[in-house]
Amino acid sequence: MESRSNNDAARESIFASIRASLAASARHDAVESELHHASPPPSSVAVTVRSEGLLDLFKESLEAVDGHCIIANDEQEIVDALTGIIKSLQGTRLRGRCIAISDDLEVERLINQADLEIDELAVTPSASDVFRFDVGISCVQAAIAETGTLLLDSSRERHRLVSLVPPVHIAILKESQIVGTLGEALALLRQSEQLTPIATLVTGPSRTADIELTLAIGVHGPQELYVIVWP
Amino acid sequence: MNHVTSETFDKNAKAALADSQLRGALRNATSLFGQRRLAATQQLTNWEDLRTRARTIKDEVLSQLDKYLEQFVANAEARGAKFHWARDAQEANTIILKLVKDRNARTIVKSKSMTTEETHLNVALEGAGVQVVETDLGEYIIQLAQETPSHIIVPAIHKTKHQIAELFTEELGMPPTDDVDKLTSTAREKLRDRFAAADIGISGVNFGIAETGTILILENEGNIRLTTSLPRVHIAVMGIEKLVPRFADLDIFLKLLPRSGTGQRLTTYQSFITGTKIDKDSEGPEELHVVMLDNGRSRMLAHPVTRQSLACIRCGACLNACPVYQNIGGHAYGSVYPGPIGAVITPQLMGLEKTQQLPYASSLCGACREVCPVKIDIPRLLLHLRSEITEKASPEVAQAKPKAGERLAFKLWKVAMMKPWLYKLSTKLARLFQGFLVKNGKIGAATGPARLAQPLVAWTSGRDLRPIEQESFRELWKKELAGK
Repeated sequence: MESRSNNDAARESIFASIRASLAASARHDAVESELHHASPPPSSVAVTVRSEGLLDLFKESLEAVDGHCIIANDEQEIVDALTGIIKSLQGTRLRGRCIAISDDLEVERLINQADLEIDELAVTPSASDVFRFDVGISCVQAAIAETGTLLLDSSRERHRLVSLVPPVHIAILKESQIVGTLGEALALLRQSEQLTPIATLVTGPSRTADIELTLAIGVHGPQELYVIVWP
Repeated sequence: MNHVTSETFDKNAKAALADSQLRGALRNATSLFGQRRLAATQQLTNWEDLRTRARTIKDEVLSQLDKYLEQFVANAEARGAKFHWARDAQEANTIILKLVKDRNARTIVKSKSMTTEETHLNVALEGAGVQVVETDLGEYIIQLAQETPSHIIVPAIHKTKHQIAELFTEELGMPPTDDVDKLTSTAREKLRDRFAAADIGISGVNFGIAETGTILILENEGNIRLTTSLPRVHIAVMGIEKLVPRFADLDIFLKLLPRSGTGQRLTTYQSFITGTKIDKDSEGPEELHVVMLDNGRSRMLAHPVTRQSLACIRCGACLNACPVYQNIGGHAYGSVYPGPIGAVITPQLMGLEKTQQLPYASSLCGACREVCPVKIDIPRLLLHLRSEITEKASPEVAQAKPKAGERLAFKLWKVAMMKPWLYKLSTKLARLFQGFLVKNGKIGAATGPARLAQPLVAWTSGRDLRPIEQESFRELWKKELAGK
């Protein structure tokens, strides 16, 4: 491949330029550090890990970004919540008649218990199929209380398109998966031996303010986001 | 406003000032973003600390950029990413065009990327007959109107919804409406077909993480998630400076960037992409190509003052805070990077010859420095570039050299400022002789013999000057206050 060698030349030349510039900067750097005493080392941020009140905080944060939060006390209440959401959609332009679910077995088990009239139910439809679905249902891998954020790790569940393309996304979350802060969620992601190929943080439904800064919900991603939390 | 260049900044700015619709839109947008940013920063008790830490991290990366680049590339390559190196914009476009042609790609979807605006990628692709669709709502509007973005975060900030409605009626055949939700859903429907058909997705990159080889992209709309998940091939274009060393550093930058940009605690979506899919059934791109762009960046490393330009995380806060940007908007800067950060980055990327008016597009008020989440000292950079223009003037920029009269005036001023008796004498003399310049209590456009005084002419051609008061503060003090 001749382009390979061309590109090696470009790589070498960029690295050479970086090193030459950094070398040339050395004498200015010395003057600079005398002029401006290096700023004192920043104090470390106190990480407050708390477990009480996380659910309430999560619900409040999620609702602040236009997401819906439903708290279920047992499996029957989750099924009821799923049924309720989809039935209420079936009267609207969001239809709710074609349902795409992730490959998490829990999701399939729950949706099969719901008493619904639906046209189609598919597990992780492909990129070419996914556009016709009205609702996507998945689990999530963690949530952040302070921002109302869901963490989706696509190596543990195939929910990348299911959570994104249909106009409605319903996420099922265990209360024990809620962490307090963004920092804790990042640490969770980082702790696995090899970082997952695709991880996504989701905070509320898709939004834009590109036209006269007027908020519009549901541009390219879901227009509605429901999170069902169970103990 | 489509063909303005940085060379004619002064003219562009005057034209923008005369556009009352533009100024109204800018006033709304910049003040709203300013308020939201302030409210969002006040939610955190350690905002200043976060800024300092972020800057320390960026300095750490930039002072050893070669080392961190090697680490980033090695880790991403180990996970299946392919790297391509571009010394300049043209080389980047050639690389991308080859990737496109080799795959016989017909439709390309693109998410917002300032870096590809910098390289004018769309022009290059369209010139080669490849169709490329911008999918960010603002960028889509701009592309339909065949214009360029005027704000880093809100590309179509200069257009009213009426103008957008007219554009959609004309280009997309939708019935006329002023309803923002309807306009948005029309764009959604139109773009869904494109997403479904796309062979390749092209995105920018907000952060590259050296220790894991991850790229992170932030957004609100979901088009970046679609662009990076639907097509088989993902091409990510990033400047070589976009690195942070550790995954944990993102905790700081993800607190700073959304709050500074839009006043959000977090943008709706953060996509962390590490290499390609593990096997055929797992999620992730089949092919991930990362194009690393230099285009003048490595040169900026050569001095600590210019190097800090590379710490920029493209939040747009300095645009909203800048009294110059607030009045003229982004197009007048004649470059993809407008506002205070544009006034320092554009001359360094494109050379001072064609951009010498930009470092003067500031009153040095320091508002940009106050809001910058990574504490870039933009006023100092502006002064650094100004001194480069005047002191190291090459023949091309010789016209920017101060005129003899101006230099003489500053010399005299310096002497007077250093000797109190001379200062007193000269203000007394000025008070005596200013009489013939003062009309209606102010000094207007210089006429007659006064036109010989260059600095005076330069000042009064655009604004009035207040005459020197008949009594100085010291004189008043002596006469009235000290006596009592």
